[in-house]
Amino acid sequence: MILTGPEIKRQVDSGRICISPFNIDQLSPNSYDFRLSETIAWYVDDILDCRQYNKTITSTIPEEGMVLRPDRIYLGSTAERMGSEHYVPIIRARSSIARLGLFIHVTADLIDIGSINHWTLQMHAVQPTRIYPGMLIGQVTFWCTKGEIVLYRGKYRNSVGPMGSLIHLDAERESNAALA
Amino acid sequence: MILTGTEIAANVAAGRICIDPFDPHMTNPNSHNYRLGPVLRTMERTEVLDSVQAPEFEDVLIPPDGIVLRPNLVYLGTTLERIGSEWYVPSLIGRSSVGRLGLYLQISADLGQLGAEHHWTLELAAVQPIRVYAGMTIGQVSFWEPIGEKVRYCGYYGTRSDPAPWSPEAVIGWNRPNHGQLSSVERQESQ
Repeated sequence: MILTGPEIKRQVDSGRICISPFNIDQLSPNSYDFRLSETIAWYVDDILDCRQYNKTITSTIPEEGMVLRPDRIYLGSTAERMGSEHYVPIIRARSSIARLGLFIHVTADLIDIGSINHWTLQMHAVQPTRIYPGMLIGQVTFWCTKGEIVLYRGKYRNSVGPMGSLIHLDAERESNAALA
Repeated sequence: MILTGTEIAANVAAGRICIDPFDPHMTNPNSHNYRLGPVLRTMERTEVLDSVQAPEFEDVLIPPDGIVLRPNLVYLGTTLERIGSEWYVPSLIGRSSVGRLGLYLQISADLGQLGAEHHWTLELAAVQPIRVYAGMTIGQVSFWEPIGEKVRYCGYYGTRSDPAPWSPEAVIGWNRPNHGQLSSVERQESQ
């Protein structure tokens, strides 16, 4: 079951959902629109590797905007701190953004329950697209769960800005397990 | 309602969800991670893919030092695990660690069907060139409780455990499970 907009507001008021800052004008019938923060990152190398640390460059999106290239993955961040220990969040682009051909996640819409922070957005533009800091870029929905809840304690907790992939830690864990 | 990781594990133990092999360390708060199978199938020799023509494809066994996926191509892969359920609806997506590197695991088709239990076909597309490895933890599957009478999926793709390309018959709709039933009804009416 998905929470309606008024129910999201009620859960924010009672502290069971975190959306901070919360602006009632960004509430939709069954989701909440979030903003893009001013910080953006991308990878230094052209060829990425799932077993290596992939170094990122961090920059600030200027007021006059920044054009995203189609051949590059960009990491943005939500301006809001969001999450819940009671409901599962799912993020997606607003339809206004999708109509521009801009993906804001790359098949990773599901947020772990208990992951309460500024979520990293995985931005991919189909055509060159100019984006602006603070723009309303995506929406979050909240879903009821079935079963005992164990909260997220993973490697991306407490992230504030756009955070690059930490997938190289998988390879380290796997090789440690093989040595053990 | 979406199942928590604890609930997924309990249902695997009870036989109501199949994730085989099942590694409890791969359970997340509300999903379970899956790994990439060893074979990728590409259609790069065909310049324009045709939805009603069987594709010419090439299989590649991912070498131990990985393979670099190129942008502007779709690679079909599989989950290493057999995954499915007659009780809960699966939704198959990537992991954020992989999405942050710009690798899509499916192309706007995350929804599984009740009763399809197999190695799922993955549709991989890379924004930037990216090296992937066989057996790497690449995506996650969540399970959702449905409302209503349950009917098992009897479609074509549910029988495939290889990186299955599109079926021209499935694209047209000729092999829909109820097509045969419908035509037998039509035959009776015409007699």
